[in-house]
Amino acid sequence: MTQRVHFASLAIVSALGITVLAASRLEPPVPGMTLANEHGTSSFGVGDEGYPIDNETVIAQCERCHEQDEQGRMSRISFERKTPEGWQTSIRRMVALNNVRLEPAEAREVVRYLSNRQGLAPEELEPGRFEVERRLIDYDYQGDDNVEFTCIQCHSMGRVITQRRTQEEWALLLATHRGLYPLADRQGFRYGGFAGEQGDDDDNRQPMDIAIDHLSEAFPLETPEWSAWSASMRPPRLAGTWALAGFETGKGRVFGTIEIVAGNTPDEFTTSAEYTYAESGESIRSTGQAVTYTGYQWRGRSNRGDDGELREVMMVDREWQGMDGRWFTGAYDEFGIDVELMRTRGEAVLTGVHPRALRAGAGATEVRLYGANLPTDASPTDFDFGLGVKVESVTDVSPSVLTLRAYVEETAMIGGRDLFLAGANLTDAVRIHDGVDRIEVSPDWGMARVGGATNFPKGYQAFDAIGWDNGPDGQANTVDDLNLGRITATWSMEEYTATFDDDDIAYVGELGPDGIFTPAEDGPNLNRKGSRNNVGDVWVVATHAGPEAKANNPLRARAHLIVTVPLYLKFDPWQSGFMPGRLVP
Amino acid sequence: MKHLKPINQKAGRIEAQIVREQLDVVGLESAPPTGPHIPMGCSLVFAPGWEVDSSGGTAGLCQPVERDLFDCHLACFWPAHVPDQLNHAQDWTGRCAAAQKDWRKIDLVFP
Repeated sequence: MTQRVHFASLAIVSALGITVLAASRLEPPVPGMTLANEHGTSSFGVGDEGYPIDNETVIAQCERCHEQDEQGRMSRISFERKTPEGWQTSIRRMVALNNVRLEPAEAREVVRYLSNRQGLAPEELEPGRFEVERRLIDYDYQGDDNVEFTCIQCHSMGRVITQRRTQEEWALLLATHRGLYPLADRQGFRYGGFAGEQGDDDDNRQPMDIAIDHLSEAFPLETPEWSAWSASMRPPRLAGTWALAGFETGKGRVFGTIEIVAGNTPDEFTTSAEYTYAESGESIRSTGQAVTYTGYQWRGRSNRGDDGELREVMMVDREWQGMDGRWFTGAYDEFGIDVELMRTRGEAVLTGVHPRALRAGAGATEVRLYGANLPTDASPTDFDFGLGVKVESVTDVSPSVLTLRAYVEETAMIGGRDLFLAGANLTDAVRIHDGVDRIEVSPDWGMARVGGATNFPKGYQAFDAIGWDNGPDGQANTVDDLNLGRITATWSMEEYTATFDDDDIAYVGELGPDGIFTPAEDGPNLNRKGSRNNVGDVWVVATHAGPEAKANNPLRARAHLIVTVPLYLKFDPWQSGFMPGRLVP
Repeated sequence: MKHLKPINQKAGRIEAQIVREQLDVVGLESAPPTGPHIPMGCSLVFAPGWEVDSSGGTAGLCQPVERDLFDCHLACFWPAHVPDQLNHAQDWTGRCAAAQKDWRKIDLVFP
C-alpha cells in the first residue's frame, strides 16, 4: 500500500531514470499533446461542455468509477482543468481513499495526459503561481471576500484559483468536501444555520451556494484563454544553454548557466547547471531532470550532491526565450531561489554585477560581471557604465565572469545605471548611491514552525537586511528611493509584547548571524508556564553600523516573526524520504 | 507616578509592561510599522487559528498543541492540519493514548 502511494508522489517528476538518446530518432508521443488540436474546446458548442478522453491508460484506470459517455467524456474528470499538481493530488486521493492501483509509469502518464489536455493557459495560471511555486505570501483574493473567507478557513486560495470547472463540477467539489470533512459544513459552508442567517439580508444564500455561483462564473471550464492556448500548444523545444540569474533570501544573488538536453520524449529534458552565490563565492553544480506540462510548465528536480535536491517550478515564456520561477527545498518548501533563465545563442549575455550598489566617491572598487559568453578579450574602455563610473582594468576573465576594477567618481550622479558591453546590455546593472539612509528587513513578516524532536521537521525562516538610499529627493518611501540590495547586519531578537510577562524570546529558537531563524524543538516544554510549546512571536531586528550609513548610525529595522506549531498532515510532499512520517492509509 | 515605586510584584510587572510598550517604537529610519501580519494559508479565521490566534499572534493558541490535538482529529475540526478519523489515517491515535504524554509517537501523515 505504501508503495502505491509513493508511486503517485513521483508522478510529476516523471523523468527519473531517463537515459539520453542520440538526437536523431522517432520521437514517442507525449500523452495528451499530439491530439490536442483535434479536440480543442472550440469544437464543442455552449451547453455541450466537457473534454472527451482518448487515453487508454486514463480510461482503463478510471472507468470503473468514472463512466464514459458516447462522446467519450468521463464523469467528473472531463469537466475540470487544473495544474499538474492538482491532477496529482486527485490521483493521490483516489489511491488513498478509493482503492486505485497504479504503477508509477501509469500515474505519470495520467498526469501528463490530463495536464496537457485539461490544463491551464499561462494567463490563467499567473495569479495562482504562488501556489505551485510554494511561496508563503499574503495573498488577497480580489474576486469576492465571502468566497475567500469560505475557502481559506482550511486551505490557501491558491488551490481554488488554479482550477477551472463547470458549475455542476464546482457544486460536486463542495459536496465532496462536505462528504470528506463533515465539520467543514459548519465551519465554512453552512455555518450550521439556515440560509440568510449570516451576512447580507438581501442575499439568503448559504456561503457554499455563494461560492458555487461565484466560482463557476469566475473560473468556468471553457475560457477564451484556454481555447487560444490549447490550439497553439506544443512541447517547447528548450534544449540549449541558458544563462541563470537568481536571488535566495538569506544568501543573496546567484549567477550561472544551465545546459538543457532533450530527453526521451519531446516534453522531457535533462539538465546540468553550474551557479555561484555572488556574495559568498559558494559554487554549486547540479544535474537534474524535468518534464514540461501544458506546453509551458516546467517541473523538475535537480540534485546538488551533498546539498540535497531542489524542486524546480518554472513557466516558459511564449517565445521559448526565457523561463522564470522558483527552485526550492525544505520541509515546508521555505528555502528557495527565485530563478530567471535566458536563452543564449553564442552571443554575450549579461546577467548581473556584484556588488550592485556602488557609493559615489568610493574610488577604485572591484566588481564582478556575470553572464554567458562574455568577451574575454574586452578592454576597459569597452565597458560603458555611463558618466562617473569608469573601468580601470580587467583583472580576471572567464566566459561566465569578468572581474573588473571600477572607479566611481565623487561626482557620479546617484541612480540606477545600465551597462553596455560588446553589443549586449544590462538594464539597471549597478546603483550609484551616496550612503545608506535606512534599512529594512525582508520579508517584513515570517513564519517558522517548531520541530525536530521526533517526527516533525523544523520550518525555518530566512531574513535579509536591505539597504535603501532615499534617492535624489532625500525623502524616505518615495518612488525615487534606491534599493541597494542585501547589506551586512547584525541580527538579534526582541520580545513582541503580547501578554504580561511575555517570555517567548527565551524559548522560540535561535536567529543565526546570517539572518536565518532556526526554531526550537516541538513538544510540550515542561520548563515553560503551562507546558506551552516553544511557540511565540518575536521581533527580528537587523542593525547596520557601517561607514556608509548616513544619519541615525547604527541603522535599525525589524520584522515580525511567528514561531508556531507543526502541521500534522502534509497534502503535498514532494521529497519522498525527506522527512520521517507515514503515508496514508 | 515617577516618584512612586511599586512594592508588590504584580504592580512591578504592570510597570514593566508599560515600559515595554513605550519602548516598542519603530525608529524613523524604517517604514511605518504595518502591524502584525497574518500569513497566507490555513484557518486564519478561527479563533484561535491553527498557526495564529485571532489577533495574528500566538498568545491565544491552544497550548500546548498536544493537549487538545485528538479533538482536532475526530471528525476533523482542522482538516488541512491534522489527519481525520473518517478518511485519512483513522488509526492515527492508535499508538498514543494521551498525546500530551506520548507526543513523541505522533505520526506525520502524508495523505
